[in-house]
Amino acid sequence: MRGMELPLNHTQKLRLQKALESLESLSSVTNSNASVTVADSIPVNQEDGVLKGHGTTELEGEVVATVCGVIERVNKLVYVRTLRARYKPEVGDIIVGRVIEVAPKRWRLEINFSQDAVLMLSSMNLPDGIQRRRTAVDELNMRSIFEEDDVICAEVRDFMRDGSLQLQARSQKYGKLERGQMLTISPYLVKRRKQHFHHLEQYGIDLILGCNGFIWVGEHVEIKDNMIEDEPTKPDSKNKKSQISTTLEEQEETYTTLETRQNICRIANAIRVLTTLGFSITLDVILEIVDLSTKKGLDIHEMLGAEFCVLVAEKEAERRSVSTRRKR
Amino acid sequence: MGSVKRKSVDESPSNYTPPPHKQPKDNNNNENRSIITNGEVDAGVACVHDVSYPENYVAVPRRSNVEEDSKPAKEFPFTLDPFQSEAINCLNAGESVMVSAHTSAGKTVVASYAIAMSLRDKQRVIYTSPIKALSNQKYREFKEEFSDVGLMTGDVTIEPNASCLVMTTEIWRSMQYKGSELTREVAWIIFDEVHYMRDRERGVVWEESIVMAPKNARFVFLSATVPNAKEFADWVAKVHQQPCHIVYTDYRPTPLQHYLFPTGGDGLYLVVDEKGKFREDSFQKALNALVPTNEKKDSGKWQKGLVNGRAGEDSDIFKMVKMIIQRQYDPVIIFSFSKRECEFLAMQMAKMDLNDDDEKVNTETIFWSAMDMLSDDDKKLPQVSNMLPLLKRGIGVHHSGLLPILKEVIEILFQEGLIKCLFATETFSIGLNMPAKTVVFSNVRKFDGDKFRWLSSGEYIQMSGRAGRRGIDDRGVCILMVDEKLEPSTAKMMVKGSADCLNSAFHLSYNMLLNQLRCEDGDPENLLRNSFYQFQADRAIPDLERQMKVLQEERDSIHIEEEDSLENYYSLLQQYKSLKKDVRDIIFSPRYCLPFLQPGRLVCVRCTNNDESTVAFSTEDHVTWGVIVNFQRVKSFSEDDADKSPEDANYTVDILTRCAVSKDELSKKTIKIIPIKEPGEPAVVTVPISQIDNLSSVRLIIAKDLLPLENRENTLKKVSEVLSRFSKQGLPLLDPEEDMKVQSGSYRKTVRRIEALESLFEKHEVAKSPLIEQKLKVLHKKKQITAQIKLIKKSMRSTSALAFKDELKARKRVLRRLGYVTRDDVVELKGKVACEISSADELVLTELMFNGVLKDIKIEELVSLLSCFVWQEKLQDAQKPREELDMLFTQLQDTARTVAKVQLECKVEIDVESFASSFRPDIMEAVYSWAKGSKFYEIMEITQVFEGSLIRGIRRMEEILQQLILAAKSIGEVELEAKFEDAVSKIKRDIVFAASLYL
Repeated sequence: MRGMELPLNHTQKLRLQKALESLESLSSVTNSNASVTVADSIPVNQEDGVLKGHGTTELEGEVVATVCGVIERVNKLVYVRTLRARYKPEVGDIIVGRVIEVAPKRWRLEINFSQDAVLMLSSMNLPDGIQRRRTAVDELNMRSIFEEDDVICAEVRDFMRDGSLQLQARSQKYGKLERGQMLTISPYLVKRRKQHFHHLEQYGIDLILGCNGFIWVGEHVEIKDNMIEDEPTKPDSKNKKSQISTTLEEQEETYTTLETRQNICRIANAIRVLTTLGFSITLDVILEIVDLSTKKGLDIHEMLGAEFCVLVAEKEAERRSVSTRRKR
Repeated sequence: MGSVKRKSVDESPSNYTPPPHKQPKDNNNNENRSIITNGEVDAGVACVHDVSYPENYVAVPRRSNVEEDSKPAKEFPFTLDPFQSEAINCLNAGESVMVSAHTSAGKTVVASYAIAMSLRDKQRVIYTSPIKALSNQKYREFKEEFSDVGLMTGDVTIEPNASCLVMTTEIWRSMQYKGSELTREVAWIIFDEVHYMRDRERGVVWEESIVMAPKNARFVFLSATVPNAKEFADWVAKVHQQPCHIVYTDYRPTPLQHYLFPTGGDGLYLVVDEKGKFREDSFQKALNALVPTNEKKDSGKWQKGLVNGRAGEDSDIFKMVKMIIQRQYDPVIIFSFSKRECEFLAMQMAKMDLNDDDEKVNTETIFWSAMDMLSDDDKKLPQVSNMLPLLKRGIGVHHSGLLPILKEVIEILFQEGLIKCLFATETFSIGLNMPAKTVVFSNVRKFDGDKFRWLSSGEYIQMSGRAGRRGIDDRGVCILMVDEKLEPSTAKMMVKGSADCLNSAFHLSYNMLLNQLRCEDGDPENLLRNSFYQFQADRAIPDLERQMKVLQEERDSIHIEEEDSLENYYSLLQQYKSLKKDVRDIIFSPRYCLPFLQPGRLVCVRCTNNDESTVAFSTEDHVTWGVIVNFQRVKSFSEDDADKSPEDANYTVDILTRCAVSKDELSKKTIKIIPIKEPGEPAVVTVPISQIDNLSSVRLIIAKDLLPLENRENTLKKVSEVLSRFSKQGLPLLDPEEDMKVQSGSYRKTVRRIEALESLFEKHEVAKSPLIEQKLKVLHKKKQITAQIKLIKKSMRSTSALAFKDELKARKRVLRRLGYVTRDDVVELKGKVACEISSADELVLTELMFNGVLKDIKIEELVSLLSCFVWQEKLQDAQKPREELDMLFTQLQDTARTVAKVQLECKVEIDVESFASSFRPDIMEAVYSWAKGSKFYEIMEITQVFEGSLIRGIRRMEEILQQLILAAKSIGEVELEAKFEDAVSKIKRDIVFAASLYL
């Protein structure tokens, strides 16, 4: 909740406090004990082989935390899960990143990791969908695929020996993201799920919850499956057209309706509210907040106001208490 | 359109019926279209060409560039066979093709054309083969031709950035899971020996690789002849939504002659000539020439008869090789099915010398130049030093127990023609072109893991494919050594049978599930849905439906009057019979009846009814009388026929009775017991106790020697006399309780129930109806049909649902229970570790790791613990490892047991104990001292295993260690990672990791 600066009036403050308190009481007690800061020693039974995972090291016979976070144990493995830190990638994660450099045969991406991530030209499907080696021409044309400042969605593929990160775009649904907005939140708020791509049909929107805390809210794009090879003449003619200039028709084609734009903003704001309150981001919660805002008849900009924030906190407290009660 | 079908008159596979002529554009929804054109067809060389189209496939007009670059990507110095040019046409058209032909037919031409074409088009191409050694050989072959070639196997990686990559299928699969850039660059994927897909253990890898392959890639499948190539192509077409051609040919460049060599005899009998005609007469002669094994002095070791021979005489194998050399049928490959047998047979050749002096010198030079890379200590290994004298005489041995380097030297020597006589196991039959003039099968039975079985015709075809060198021999010779155990029909089946079908051997593994769950698009169910297994199951449904319909109609057409009461009667009858059987089982348990099986006792025997459907429907059984001659214990189970029930398998009784003896065309006698009054020969037959119905209290004195026919006839006459004397009141029987002292409560109970039932029969309303017997027969038939329908329905239900659905659920449950995935199928930390481990049991190893077992132990101990994961052979007299290692092993077994128990609780079918004992501690000591730095000859003294097997084990351990390094990295445990790396450096040295000669 640190860094939250909301112009709350007195009653709102009290309500928020109450909601937060009730939330705290609901969270499991064991977890709070397990939080450590740097140099805290972690209690382990030294006799049987302890595995010291990420965020730990051995110092004078003691296992010591090297980062702030929560202790997690899996059988004999001890590691510290960080909270507000940079993103820690794992193979298979879906991430959203921004291109910061076009380098030989590769793009460098900012993904909120301690290093820049690398997306090789060979890890991308070519726009024409043909399976072949990348040529020098492809290399020269890299900017026609992604330019600096483009927002891209990709999957974590591998760590290189030097600890840098390799990304890949497995299929057509990865790649450039257009016509939407990217939000940056703390990575720990995004839980790893089976699905990180979401298509919200009722709003006509694609939502990508990048594990690195970059979240994409944009207009829905149909994934074109260029599986059946077009005749080679076709893409050529298309390219020529686009090279001349973007015609009026095409501009119209790429026009996003006002309604969609509003939906994008509403969802983005819902995420923002949740983030300021420090609630983890899942699809269900986001949709709930969006519903709440429409039900209350709030304008998009009002969603960032103090009143709505308090409402969300109260709602979340209620939701969690219901679900915990159900569990019991 | 490239759909051309060529067909010769007599060479088309029988399961294929040509579709009618159709214009391709008219029926886009039709799955199969083909046009038949009759090109110049040479009867011997013809091939069948067919295309599978996916459903709703709209044919894209052929790209115009076909004409532009009509110059072929590669030209061959010889004229292509029709099947080769057919296949290459498909490649030129840019469509997938499945080539199904014999090993020697020249499928490699198609593969190398595909490579040349991809290189021309600046695309990447992958060549996968099932075996590392084969990959090495192919790498060398392609490297010489194309230069831009790389190799990736578990052992070596050379130029991974080359345009053409040779790799094992396992590597390709894991690259696909990891999303290597190859998956975006590869245009053609060549699967060699794709019929490996039916391999029980590894076949699933092919299915995974094919299902996951990039959608825009094209395939070349090279396979041995499989009758259901079409089915396979249909599957590929469906999964990848692209047309897939089939080019099938039975053609052999050099025709084969098949001979039989009866053991103990001394001659060859031509049974199938080069035109494929079966010669019945000489087949008969060959069987008649068999010297019955039991007349041999060493009949107890009939299996060894082949190698032992009679004292003072040469063994069969020696005679055979001598004959082959005399007739100049060399070089020869002699296949046997175990490593030991292979070596043993080679030892029999001690007296033979097949090389002249020049060749000896050559052999020696090649041998030592290859061995040069070994250290001096390794050169002294017994296997190395023992092999040279043998090789110099032109005799070689080739099996998986050899040091890899020796194996390769022998392959090279064989190709150079310096080995005239090669004793090999089945592994020699796949892969690189290494033909001989003659192939000999020293045995026709093969141990397949559970039991000995006959060689299948598919295996026979594969191995006999090694016979006949193209361009050198005008025909290949194939010799089958047969002994008396071989049924004529089996032999015929083997020699003349068709190739084995390509059936899916799909199964689930945890590693597969986790890898699938880990990717965003991955879904194990999707993999299952697209598997060949599912495809085959779906295919079977219409067939089953048809069967069921026919049966249902048949059942409904049967009308019976008074069905209800009849049915009642029928069920009573069934009860009565089962009760009778119970009683008999009690009385005739060896405990009670053995004392009464004296010679001379009259017994009531059931006649042999040759026809199961004519089950008697009365309370009377079809019986006759005979005299006991003797009874004996059956020695072992294994030699028993399957149809003997287990409880009486221990004893058989010899009975003299009236028999009908008939000979069928293959001179096999069949003896049937018939009623005593009917005409027939008196004969002594051996029956299981269960066939005896009753024991009488009468005993006859029988002649001591029953061999003369008169004596037997006389005895039977006496039997008839006795019978007629007692005809009024019936022959006095032994009373079970009074005479035989059967004391069992259940016996009395059953007898009482039988009595009750008997009275019911009398009163039953239909019992008196005249046609009762026929009616019952009809009813019986109806019942049988109903049962069949039920069975079909059951199998339909299981196939229509997603195959493996239940198992998938169960396995997911296991993963959740062990904390590998969460409730929402998100892969957890442990799951990520298990993802990395594909060369050993992923669950057990992961559990060991997370339990900290690997952390505390020394590196040598760690390595020897891992050896339990790779070693599967059972050693008879392996000594127990030392205490520390044994403790580790116990720990491993405990973990394995826990894992297995969890699986069992989650309803995965598994046997806890056999799972735990699938980890073998046998090479722990050897590996321990190898990690300590011992020389290879030193560790060979510790253990009894074959050198080659041990080396393969250690190499596989290195593979596992590499995977563990990745796993340790992913959990951030630096010390453990360093430890694994240390372990790798400790075991990766010297002869065990000596580079292949092909590289």
